[in-house]
Amino acid sequence: MSIPYFPGCTLHVKAKALDDSTRAALAVLGLELSGLPEWTCCGTVFPLARNNYIGMVASARILANAAKQGDGRLVTVCSFCYHVLKRVNHAVRNSDEARTKLNDYLEEDYDGQLRVLHPLELLRDEVGFGALRNRVGAGLKGTRVACYYGCMLSRPAAEMDFGDPEDPAVMEKFVAALGGEPADFSWKTKCCGSYQVLNEQGLVAGRVKDIFQAAAAGGAQVIITSCPLCQYNLEAHSEADNHSRIPVLYFAQLLGIALEIPINKLGLAGRYADPEALLQGARR
Amino acid sequence: MTGTGIEVTLKVREISGQNPFLCMQCGLCSAGCTGKGTMDMLPRQVMRLLQFGSGKLLDERSMWICTTCLTCTARCPRGIDVARVMEALRALNQRRGVSVLAPADLGAEILADVPQMALTSAFRKLSA
Ligand code: SF4
Ligand code: SF4
Repeated sequence: MSIPYFPGCTLHVKAKALDDSTRAALAVLGLELSGLPEWTCCGTVFPLARNNYIGMVASARILANAAKQGDGRLVTVCSFCYHVLKRVNHAVRNSDEARTKLNDYLEEDYDGQLRVLHPLELLRDEVGFGALRNRVGAGLKGTRVACYYGCMLSRPAAEMDFGDPEDPAVMEKFVAALGGEPADFSWKTKCCGSYQVLNEQGLVAGRVKDIFQAAAAGGAQVIITSCPLCQYNLEAHSEADNHSRIPVLYFAQLLGIALEIPINKLGLAGRYADPEALLQGARR
Repeated sequence: MTGTGIEVTLKVREISGQNPFLCMQCGLCSAGCTGKGTMDMLPRQVMRLLQFGSGKLLDERSMWICTTCLTCTARCPRGIDVARVMEALRALNQRRGVSVLAPADLGAEILADVPQMALTSAFRKLSA
């Protein structure tokens, strides 16, 4: 089964590891992702000012082109891409004004009927967590995992439809299916400071410190995320604040480890907080 | 945009689609705000100044510290999308040419390192 897939700019360059590990792990489970033939940046942020349709154009164009693939679904994994594509899709589907203006501008006829899906949803709904449990080895058994959703996946709840806005559960169920143990992690949907890394470094440092402290308090051996910016912010401040040396991996890398995919296909080399201990556990 | 008194409030109301007068000053937005500890004026105080119609709001820094994490939006018991209020304040400034981030501010080291999405999102939210 091949599903239309939007990788996005960051996965094309700086977060190649997220792209590689997502494709490799889903392929092992029989889900082939086929990149859209043409795409641009999604715009990264959803415009919050009313009637700012120009800020939705990039995502609307991607969605209109994806709909032409005829599958009815579009998979994307970066938390920012997922957030903005899903919200623009929601606007096109539910607002006559947004649909008319965006289609007129783009000379398209898109109705917003695409389903924008995160790989965690594919794993839950297409593979099934029960079936996934039967596919993985025992390598991650008992590994304590902090599921870090960050701010983009679950809010606003009415549009993202990703579970409770401050207590979603799909990632924990995913971890349990891999044989791991979701750690208590009160900061799971708090923001890491996001793009303020370019403007208010101190704010990011403070939030990252809190996140590491919360993860350590829950006994986490690894933190997982689907956001390249969370991953970057956490790793960039690791030296100062990650006293427990908790590695920060993409959820797809953890899935790859559980599926015993060779680590050179998962982009795991050369990190600050070494996932070697995890891998050794997996190889046992 | 002169930025005086009640005009700012009315403009914010128009751009955000949110009614600041619904705010009951409970402070839930401030309690969960990512900018807590960095903002000198937390979202509840921003809402209060909007109710008063204070022109100096446009010169506060809170809107530029906001990360649009939507925690305030998720928690407000009056259903106010507070993140949209912050965006409206940014938009009013951006429309008069005020911004806080310029490409020249960024060092070569961070540019080489940071994921692309950080650049696009930061410039969209923080520059005119
Ligand atoms: S969206 Fe902005 S104002 Fe609201 S909680 Fe997040 S940082 Fe604070
Ligand atoms: S949470 Fe809502 S009602 Fe409470 S202070 Fe904030 S904006 Fe006002």
